[in-house]
Amino acid sequence: MCAVTTPYRQDMPPAGGFEAVKYKRNLPVRGPGGLAILGGVTALCAYGFYRLGKGNVEKRELQREKTWSRIHLVPLLLAEGDRDAYRRQQAAQAREKEIMKDVKDWEAGKSVYNNPRYQPSEYIVVL
Amino acid sequence: MSTFHEGASSSQPYKDPTPLPTSVPKVAELGTTSAPLKSAAFFFGAYCKEYNEDFMLCKAENRDPAHCLKEGRRVTRCATDLITKMRENCLQQFEDHWNCLELNNQEYNPCRKPERVLNKCMFEKLGLVKTIPGTPEGQTPIHEVQKPLFGRMQK
Repeated sequence: MCAVTTPYRQDMPPAGGFEAVKYKRNLPVRGPGGLAILGGVTALCAYGFYRLGKGNVEKRELQREKTWSRIHLVPLLLAEGDRDAYRRQQAAQAREKEIMKDVKDWEAGKSVYNNPRYQPSEYIVVL
Repeated sequence: MSTFHEGASSSQPYKDPTPLPTSVPKVAELGTTSAPLKSAAFFFGAYCKEYNEDFMLCKAENRDPAHCLKEGRRVTRCATDLITKMRENCLQQFEDHWNCLELNNQEYNPCRKPERVLNKCMFEKLGLVKTIPGTPEGQTPIHEVQKPLFGRMQK
């Protein structure tokens, strides 16, 4: 048997040593954390509700403005309507008087209720 | 026997041409359309306050149209007077504002710019101020807010 002689060489770690064993989890950063998102959403919602509240107050004021603009016009429109209603009422009464002139003791335009309170007529003309 | 007929169900509008009895003094109707009336509403409320209140108190007394004719004529005369004065003093501003109201569904909030000009003119020339009753204490009245949240919905 012929012995092959190779120079003796001790197996050694590579130069610079072995690299560290990868035992840690290697996960990339996946955006802001849960607390940050929760806080952000809460802040956004809070701001939204703040704006909503402001908007409600403003809407209320706009409604008040609109209502008062109409309230201020009520006397004017009512006065005009009243004159027209009075004119029609007088005309209707004159017509009734003319039609019922032969009936004794007929009072034209007399209310059918035994009450002095004003009662608007149920119909404006007999069609 | 007469039955109730709704005015709306009539085939034609009912017109009664009979004029007012001569015992009632004549007063020219205002004849202003809705947008100018809305534009002038707060000035009307300020300028004709006494007449308006008198008329409404009279109406509270009795709802009969014959009861408050005199007060009603005063209200109408006062309104005519106001519109005439507005047209004499602030014609351009008044027309700008009510034309803006016409174009914006007769809402005040899209027309703040012409409204402020009109309010300024009315205060300078006639001394009338727009005040909205019932505005909470310490809050800017809505027509004077510089940056409101609600503007025109469509640009």
